[in-house]
Amino acid sequence: MNEHLQFEQDLDLYALGALDGDEKRDLESHLRACAECARKLELARGRVALLALNAPSVTPRPQVRERLLRQIRAKPLSGRPRALSAAWRWATPAFAGLALVLAIAVGMLNEQNRDLRRRLSDLETARAQQEAQTARARAVLDVLTAPETIRVTLVAGATRPVPQGKAFYHLRKGLLFYAANLPALPAGETYQLWLVPVQGNPISAGIFKTDAQGNGEIVLPSLPAGVMAKAFAVTVEPSGGVPQPTGPKVLIGAVS
Amino acid sequence: MVDGDEVALATLYDRYAGVVYSVARRILGDESAAEEILQDIFYQLWRRAADFDSARGTLPGWLLVAARNRAIDRLRRRTVTEEISENVALPLNLERATARNEIMSKVKGALNGLPAGQRQALELAYFQGLTHTEIAERTGEPLGTIKTRLRAALESLRRVLNP
Repeated sequence: MNEHLQFEQDLDLYALGALDGDEKRDLESHLRACAECARKLELARGRVALLALNAPSVTPRPQVRERLLRQIRAKPLSGRPRALSAAWRWATPAFAGLALVLAIAVGMLNEQNRDLRRRLSDLETARAQQEAQTARARAVLDVLTAPETIRVTLVAGATRPVPQGKAFYHLRKGLLFYAANLPALPAGETYQLWLVPVQGNPISAGIFKTDAQGNGEIVLPSLPAGVMAKAFAVTVEPSGGVPQPTGPKVLIGAVS
Repeated sequence: MVDGDEVALATLYDRYAGVVYSVARRILGDESAAEEILQDIFYQLWRRAADFDSARGTLPGWLLVAARNRAIDRLRRRTVTEEISENVALPLNLERATARNEIMSKVKGALNGLPAGQRQALELAYFQGLTHTEIAERTGEPLGTIKTRLRAALESLRRVLNP
């Protein structure tokens, strides 16, 4: 146990790239055997990665953006419909991308030609299945997220609509959140959504505004990987949000 | 021809190019080398789009790690790390510029608050890519001291980011 704790303390140093020699080797072999430390390493990498923000802010020349766009136009990745936008928006495994990478490899590596063609065909089949699933998921999400979608809350007669929120959370696939009937906030305040983990402090899932009807939403925010949720809550916070909740809880729901 | 991919890439570029370029520039101190890294990283992103799972917030984390690792490889004239495929879980959401600025001032605040020795060790590790043994050699301090300083500095960062 002490040994395990020692490794845990070294994860930040490892993520920083500061470990070397035996310490690095020992930790790497521990990581292969300890799923918990491997998961904590992802978080350590995340913390260390933010040190990048300590670099003085400089803006790249606009020519770089032009060169990049010319570069991707010069080598179009045909046969990969909307892979980037799809992956970015919907987090759907895009088999099209894999098929394409394989297609390039076919051209480059003649020796593996036959094998790759067979795998490509398998992937095309898988992609077709995947696309059918994706199309349905996208249709559902389109309804949920389109600005023109009308949201109606049904309540028992003669009851005034009360503020409410609905969270759809999947450990790996992410979070969708919709709120309704929230009162408008004064300038300088915002609603902030929190994921309350089974262990540890609440994690911000982002801030949101409400429309004239009191509807608001947060769709697929960036969250740490695989956090088990105990509850979700919405608080009122100063504009821009805060790292930990300070204001009144206006909505809360425990995971049943 | 503008298709969905190109628009998505341009959007991501506009959001994150500043951060990627700033870290490469800080490490290399050279405009054109940092620009090459910036372009290279977004080109890789375009080719590997399917590998990123936006729900887990892996993309901004990957960009920051890739920028730092590529720049360090170049600084230390190492062979380029072939694939940067490690999972990175950012503790905070970098999508919005306001949130980015807030996190940036937190990180800067945390580093400015460190004792000079801790800050130096952390910067040599992160921005020069030195291991603790190399930092000890560079500064002439005992290895044990460097380890203690790095641990303490990282602990401060952890406290600021996960209060």
